[in-house]
Amino acid sequence: MKFSAQFFADRRNRADAFVWAGFLVLPFVLGEWEVTQIAQYLTYGIFAMSLALIWGHCGLMSFGHAVFFGLGAYAMSLSTLGMLPGLAGWTSSYLGIALALAVPAVFANLLGRFLFYGKGLQGAQLAIVMLAVAVIAERLMARWPYAGGMNGLMSVPPVNLGLFGVEIEIFDPLPLYYLTLFAAIAVYVVLESQVRSRRGVVMRAVASDEARTTFLGYDTRAVKLSAFTVSAAVAGFAGALFVAQFGFVSPPLIGFGLSTEVLIWVALGGRHGLLTAFLGAIFVRLAENALADLLGPAWLLGLGLLFVLCVIFLPRGLLGEIYTRLTLPRGAADTDQR
Amino acid sequence: MDQALLLLLDATNYVLVIILVAMGLVIVFGLMRVINMAHGELFLLGAYTLVLLQQAGLPYWIGLIAATLLVGFIGLLMEELVIRHIYHRFLDTILATWGISIAIKQGVVLLFGPGAQSTAAPITAQLQIFGASYPVYRLFIMAVALLVVAGTFYLFFRTRFGLVARAVIANRSMAGCLGVPTRTFDRLTFAYGAALAGLAGAVMAPIMSVDPQMGLGFLIPAFLSILVGGAGHLAGPVLGAGLIGATDSVTAGLWSPVMAQVVVFAMAVIAIRLFPGGLIGRGGPR
Repeated sequence: MKFSAQFFADRRNRADAFVWAGFLVLPFVLGEWEVTQIAQYLTYGIFAMSLALIWGHCGLMSFGHAVFFGLGAYAMSLSTLGMLPGLAGWTSSYLGIALALAVPAVFANLLGRFLFYGKGLQGAQLAIVMLAVAVIAERLMARWPYAGGMNGLMSVPPVNLGLFGVEIEIFDPLPLYYLTLFAAIAVYVVLESQVRSRRGVVMRAVASDEARTTFLGYDTRAVKLSAFTVSAAVAGFAGALFVAQFGFVSPPLIGFGLSTEVLIWVALGGRHGLLTAFLGAIFVRLAENALADLLGPAWLLGLGLLFVLCVIFLPRGLLGEIYTRLTLPRGAADTDQR
Repeated sequence: MDQALLLLLDATNYVLVIILVAMGLVIVFGLMRVINMAHGELFLLGAYTLVLLQQAGLPYWIGLIAATLLVGFIGLLMEELVIRHIYHRFLDTILATWGISIAIKQGVVLLFGPGAQSTAAPITAQLQIFGASYPVYRLFIMAVALLVVAGTFYLFFRTRFGLVARAVIANRSMAGCLGVPTRTFDRLTFAYGAALAGLAGAVMAPIMSVDPQMGLGFLIPAFLSILVGGAGHLAGPVLGAGLIGATDSVTAGLWSPVMAQVVVFAMAVIAIRLFPGGLIGRGGPR
């Protein structure tokens, strides 16, 4: 009891627990179709958290984060379709998830070693270099006939949690929703504990002034590299969960378009918090679902303008602003830099 | 021989247009430390203005001038409404201008539809060069680009305006102390950079398909040119665009346009990593 009292004494914990509890009871309120939709958006939410980790906490803005999401999606699809080179015909969701975590992480680690070490790229250069990497990845995937080329891979099977010959396919809306939600909560707990730990403090120090952090004796490149790698693994995990629901993977998942979309979700939600980034993704997708048919191209016009206004006037994001005001002690809302 | 010559001419054409686009970007970046992701959409607006005026029956030359002036004015509006608020937040300029680029692109889709427009070139003659025939209009584009680039260099290195502008680039607060109205210079340079993009769009419109997605195809190579060449000097993007445009045209001619893009972008990433400050110049974007 002592622990729970301590836990809920922190306003942030109360707010976060409230939000997750909301997601837990959501299927009791909504219909089957909405639940399926939201289950898909949860994977986008996980993707958004991975970007918030490096962008909001470590200061690494990337215009190409979908590269890792797409790598995860392709790794999962190739594994569950039994198309892994050398392991033809061998299908396993567990292997798929493991590869979806490992492949983007290894790629991000190598790319990070190349970009952060040596003379090291800063802010805007990194953003634009990642943009170029995303365009390259999309073009290459479209030219790789084994992975379906331009058309991508169809009929990717759903997640199968069975072992030793027992088949437990997660296909029905409710189990699928809860599986994805628990994955999201797990990701949130792991990342949030990182962010609140000493490591998280060092990450934010790197974001606010890299030179000073170096003078304090920290290896800032290693901090950035490890955050980048973890973030890529989480993005790949989100891609794997997404493709197992969507059943279809194609080059746009790895490219520039999705990379900028996730940037907008995170900026609108609030990049300084994992939960606000997560909710940003879900709210923007829900709004798009509701308004895109009604407004047509005007929806994206409105989203673009909202994004501009938000960047100028609410750098903490729409939800981030609300969240900060709700969770800080009275009177501290304007001075805190969290 | 003919093939090689045509390839060379096409490469020169592409390089000059990239220089034209990159020039506008680098002026804005150098003077105001603003990365303008909407620059591709200013290019797009230039092209659409020309198409619209030509459809209205006006002569090409009026369209060209009107596109340049109109897009310059839109640049002025952008500076006044958005950029002014975020000068000191460097990374946020990327985000805000990206939002503007989405809005402009969708505005164009709303007004003209997502499909491609086309417009006729004012000069349809072909020129015989060493036995190969080449459209005169492409030579005209090269001439325009060369003139504008030369004019920009003249403006920035041989006039009093350029001297003061470079003083603002070198040390903004000192220039302000000496009585330079730095705000006016911000507005003028932003409008000038935008006008260059508008001119590039208008002059390219007759030889490409004018559709709402056309901006990005020029924005990324222009950015990479600046990063490869270096943003510290106006000659940086000229060198960068030369390397990027030449590699792209040659690879596209020998292999395929898609692979050309992959090869060029990968090379640019490596070049930026090895020379973060650019091949020319001191200190890259920070």
